[in-house]
Amino acid sequence: MLFMHEVHSVAGEHEREFEAAYRDGWMKLLARDDDVRLLWYLNHAHGSGASYRVVTITAVRDGAAYERLAGRLRRGDLLDWSRAVGALRHEVRGKMLLPVYWSPIQEIDLATVPADGSEHELSLYMEDTGWPSAPLDDYIQFWDQEYFRYMRAMPPEHSILEIEACFQVAHGTHYRPEAMLMQKVLDYGLLLNLISEPEDYDPEVWPGRYMHGGLRYRDQWESRLLRTSKWSPRY
Amino acid sequence: MLFLHEVHRVAGAKAKEFEVAFRAGWMEALAADGDARLLWFLHHAHGTGPSYQVVTVTAVADGAAWERLAARVQHGDLRDWVREVDSCRHDVQGRLLMPLDFSPLEVDLAAVPTDGRRHDPALYMEDTMWPKRGKADEYIAAAGAVYTKLLGSDPAHPLIGIEAAYQTMPGAGRYPEITLMQKVHDMSGLVRLLTTDMPEEMARRGNWMHDALEFRDQWRSKLLRTASWSPLN
Repeated sequence: MLFMHEVHSVAGEHEREFEAAYRDGWMKLLARDDDVRLLWYLNHAHGSGASYRVVTITAVRDGAAYERLAGRLRRGDLLDWSRAVGALRHEVRGKMLLPVYWSPIQEIDLATVPADGSEHELSLYMEDTGWPSAPLDDYIQFWDQEYFRYMRAMPPEHSILEIEACFQVAHGTHYRPEAMLMQKVLDYGLLLNLISEPEDYDPEVWPGRYMHGGLRYRDQWESRLLRTSKWSPRY
Repeated sequence: MLFLHEVHRVAGAKAKEFEVAFRAGWMEALAADGDARLLWFLHHAHGTGPSYQVVTVTAVADGAAWERLAARVQHGDLRDWVREVDSCRHDVQGRLLMPLDFSPLEVDLAAVPTDGRRHDPALYMEDTMWPKRGKADEYIAAAGAVYTKLLGSDPAHPLIGIEAAYQTMPGAGRYPEITLMQKVHDMSGLVRLLTTDMPEEMARRGNWMHDALEFRDQWRSKLLRTASWSPLN
């Protein structure tokens, strides 16, 4: 399964129309067959990064389905939609992602993904993108052994994040070396502590061991705080 | 047919190893089946832009073939190869391209050389354009109808000729984005282009350089020189 990750620089005055185009256009038009489904529609929270940025993640069954989707956008039933959306944003930057071997999300049953726009509470995600100085495979394994396994074993009262997915860039569609974590924020109080109260980590004890040991693999990453829309299929 | 376009920032001290890895590794590994072929291995000419940058373009039969290639790189027979190549470069920026209707490039994968045969280097001007918001289709139509004719207006002495024209595939790069792969046929004409101002009449209404401003004013040109063994030259 492939995951199409897109970062849209939206024209601020067209923010609402852009969101409607994804809810009433993209999400519903994709539901006509079993090739593709929109999973997340996320607003980069104002005050935490770039303005008027939207992140969408769309699940694509396989490479053939991806090529069919591109054909629909270029000269098929999605052409008019694509033209209309193109006038509502400055640009979009996309990449195709593959789940890494330990990612909790591997395959999605596309038939079960909601496409009716039903509304729900909002949720917040921390999307981390890392660019390792070590070999990419070693970095991904480090995340598994020194981050994912510890986070998964954390007692609920101490859990700040749930790691829902870990991806690497499918060959030739973006930057290499790069890998990405999609993490749902479970506890906003703990998030506030993380942001406002920097901690001196003991390198001998986790999470200090992760923070210090991680420098052997990377010191460059970027976190985005992304808030789902109230109709985002996943939240 | 899809085209895998990669810009590699090569570690200067490992430039030779990097090139060998593509000639003896990538090009020959792809030749084992009919999914993909390396087409171009190009050096961004020193003195015209960033140092130690290489552009490669690989033709891929279709979306399913690209997915198989991505799997070979992620966990298959090309995993060790890519790990070795990563040690020879700082990073790589890739994108997938789809040919535009007026692109002249037709690729028969089985006919693309994979034996490293030598030839003289050739120079390409690769132009990448970012049309204005909502203007991508109009720009593509104008480029196909007007720009291609402009380049062919003096068939006996062409400065450059379009070898391939692409649009970046949704989800695999920046959109909207158009890329033209143009072979330089007249080196002295290129020098004139670089060393003289654009004639004033070309900036007037009715000329491409004026009229195309309605659709785009942002692009980037790269002067790329083929390696002596690049399959396409």
